[in-house]
Amino acid sequence: MNARSLFIPVTLFLVIAFLIGPFLIIVAASFSAGETLAFPPQGFSLRWIAKVFTVESFQASFAMSLFLAIGGTAAALVLGIPASYALSRYKLPGAEIVRTVVSAPIIVPGIIVGLALLRYIVVPFQVGITLALFVAHTALVLPYAVRVVSASLDNLRSDIEEAAVLLGSSRLGAFFRVVMPNIRGGIMSAFILGFVTSFNQVPVSLFLSGPGVRTLPVDMIAYMEIVFDPSVAALSSLLAFLSIGIVFAAERFLGFSRYV
Amino acid sequence: MSDASYLSLEKLTLAYGDTVAVADLDLDIRKGELIALLGPSGCGKTTTMRAIAGLLPVKSGQVRLDGADMTRVPANKRAVGLVFQSYALFPHLSVYENVAFGLKLKGMRGAELDTKVQAGLKSVGLSSFANRKPAELSGGQQQRVALARSMVMEPKVLLLDEPLSNLDARLRLEMRTELQRVQKETGVTMIFVTHDQAEALALADRIVVMKGGAIEQIGTPEDIYNRPVSSFVADFVGFENIFPLEGGKLRTSGGLIELSGEAPSAAGLAWRPRMVTLGTGPFRGTVRGTSFAGDSREYLLDTSLGAIKAEVEAALPAHALGADLLFDLPAGKAALLSKFS
Amino acid sequence: MFQNRAEALALALPAALFAAAVFLVPVVILLSDGFRSPVGGWTISAYTDFFSNTLNQTVFLRTLKLGALVTVVSAVIGYAAAFAIVNLEPGAKGRMTGLVVLPLMISPVARTYAWIVILGRTGIVNQAFQALGLTEAPLRILFSETAIFIGLLQLFLPLMIISLISALENMPKDAIPAARVLGANWFQVFWKVVLPLTKEGLVIGGTLVFTGCLTAYITPAILGGSKVLMLETLLYQQVSVSNNFVSASVIAFILIVMSFAANILLKRVATARNKMRSQP
Repeated sequence: MNARSLFIPVTLFLVIAFLIGPFLIIVAASFSAGETLAFPPQGFSLRWIAKVFTVESFQASFAMSLFLAIGGTAAALVLGIPASYALSRYKLPGAEIVRTVVSAPIIVPGIIVGLALLRYIVVPFQVGITLALFVAHTALVLPYAVRVVSASLDNLRSDIEEAAVLLGSSRLGAFFRVVMPNIRGGIMSAFILGFVTSFNQVPVSLFLSGPGVRTLPVDMIAYMEIVFDPSVAALSSLLAFLSIGIVFAAERFLGFSRYV
Repeated sequence: MSDASYLSLEKLTLAYGDTVAVADLDLDIRKGELIALLGPSGCGKTTTMRAIAGLLPVKSGQVRLDGADMTRVPANKRAVGLVFQSYALFPHLSVYENVAFGLKLKGMRGAELDTKVQAGLKSVGLSSFANRKPAELSGGQQQRVALARSMVMEPKVLLLDEPLSNLDARLRLEMRTELQRVQKETGVTMIFVTHDQAEALALADRIVVMKGGAIEQIGTPEDIYNRPVSSFVADFVGFENIFPLEGGKLRTSGGLIELSGEAPSAAGLAWRPRMVTLGTGPFRGTVRGTSFAGDSREYLLDTSLGAIKAEVEAALPAHALGADLLFDLPAGKAALLSKFS
Repeated sequence: MFQNRAEALALALPAALFAAAVFLVPVVILLSDGFRSPVGGWTISAYTDFFSNTLNQTVFLRTLKLGALVTVVSAVIGYAAAFAIVNLEPGAKGRMTGLVVLPLMISPVARTYAWIVILGRTGIVNQAFQALGLTEAPLRILFSETAIFIGLLQLFLPLMIISLISALENMPKDAIPAARVLGANWFQVFWKVVLPLTKEGLVIGGTLVFTGCLTAYITPAILGGSKVLMLETLLYQQVSVSNNFVSASVIAFILIVMSFAANILLKRVATARNKMRSQP
């Protein structure tokens, strides 16, 4: 083997080791039998995996994160699908402004969004933290929803709607009969992307926490600061496998990567 | 309603925003006619077709169909069919479901629906493809599905957008025959849009030549081919030597030129390459280019009138590049143009 | 293209108004706070105050430095990795790309957390160093710029690799052999052919990585601790520890300006590329 034929496998091994290695270490550490987080793990046990399910704050924050990821993404799609449709099919006055406004939350650092919401919405209007989190996560996912749904609308010829209308369908009917069935993959992909983004999001939620109301990643950071046992590793592994599983299934059944 | 105006456009003006695309257009079409809207891109032919379909709001004027004013009737209530250039088949539905789409919206169900759909598929020779998805069909087959999907609705007018342009030469001939057959069997009024004069000449009963949002000429294929009324139409249907006429003389790049023979009264004259007499005549030119086209040979001449294109039978002896030739533009053969632009 | 304006607005306005109300308006008010004078009127004194503080200067420069460093290093590694991946057979290429993308699906908390195990006092690196006799006492790697750098690089390298993979794939197939036939060595091939032809991909990847570094919170928070701050963690401290909202507004403005500048650059390059493509 000469130097050039070694280049490809060696480069790939090093890069993949750097990218995936830490994750594998976390997985290994979650099966440790020891009291503190360490690698190589001291013995083998499932105790930390089991413990994750018994920590009450994890249960509450997991439920909160799940609610935000599902509810926020669904709300973003309800707002985003019509907006994407208007942007891709209509001569919309101020189209560039609308596009910029709905995709701005992706550009502005999340921590600023969270702080601004806290200071100027939550405090002055006495909005509950849960509602504020819901609104923040919806705004955060909206750019992804618009981008992915727009991409799948742009891939769909717009004359099929006209064809449906000429065959007797109303405009709205044409949307549900011939547009929706053909962008279903895009909508599902937007949902998954939004779900993962929202679920893993920390900065937006950082300032938006109240007594007993926290998202899971924020809760994990708080837990780590107090207890240095492998349970956060165990939880991280579980969550990682959950998102990988969802994305893998999505790729398998929807061709997820076509849209993202 | 007279028979001569089954579909009529009256002072039709169409616009995209503030840009007027078609202005004050008048057109009457007989029932059962096969009409071609012919013109270069941007001439307003597609815009006019979309307005007939109801896909584009009318700015002013009227669209009347079968005695009724259609101007404000929405596209889904017009009974006008359209075969899109891209076919616009519904990708998620099978061939059968595509054809059944409009009938189901009409409320048709069960055996009646099935009979109609099967008949529609049979008429375009696609019965055995009923369960395929559009993506599994060739372009020609997709177009026939689109045709069947429109025809089962029994439209009063069938519009076709560039129906032959996406097909290869063999399929083009097949589809041409198919369209003529459908038209003959059903007697449906057909309007197709095209930028290809050969297509229009081969298929249409009458051709409407459009330019800049207005009608330039309406006539039978023979009219358009032999008697273009304007320099624009002449150029479009293959007259390559076109000159304005001033006081009985041709205005050319080499000044005013006296014609041999009596000058007709017209705004301009046009000759096809094969109308140019080569070998004798009052004018002289140098062969600048030559090309062999099987039955004939084409010459590009540099002359005092400017560039002249001539075509003669290939059996005649060939002239070499640089040869000096006599030629004539016989006034008696020229097409008389009443409009020069 | 449908022409009906009222319909278009009815479809687009709910999303636009929502984003404006819960996002645009509060953020704009927040940003304006930094320019408001306590005695009324407008002033930039908050900015001059901010930059005259040496701690703030350090944090600002550190943020720029780490962002630039991570971007450059990820570009170097990214080219090598992307080049290796596009030269694989189609099946292997897909799997490798999948492995590169995989970390993006994992929570940044989990990804950053792993580095504590690796870089901590009793972590793998220190164990290895001590076993090899390189150091006596455990090194303090955690809570340093090095730790943040490693964490950020791991977090954002996939974005760079993916941008470069698609840039390399869009490069004309024969460009490299053509340059070789004309006598270029590998360095010249990269410098004169590959780099100019993949410039857009590099800029897109670089912008994503750089803005990512600016706006990352978890990595500097966990790997930098409360001493080695970046702008995001400084902002959090100003609010939660010092209750200094003016200073927070100043940091927010700086972050947004830098982030917008990077995104405008990205958009420029993207439109320039689309123009090139749309030419016949």
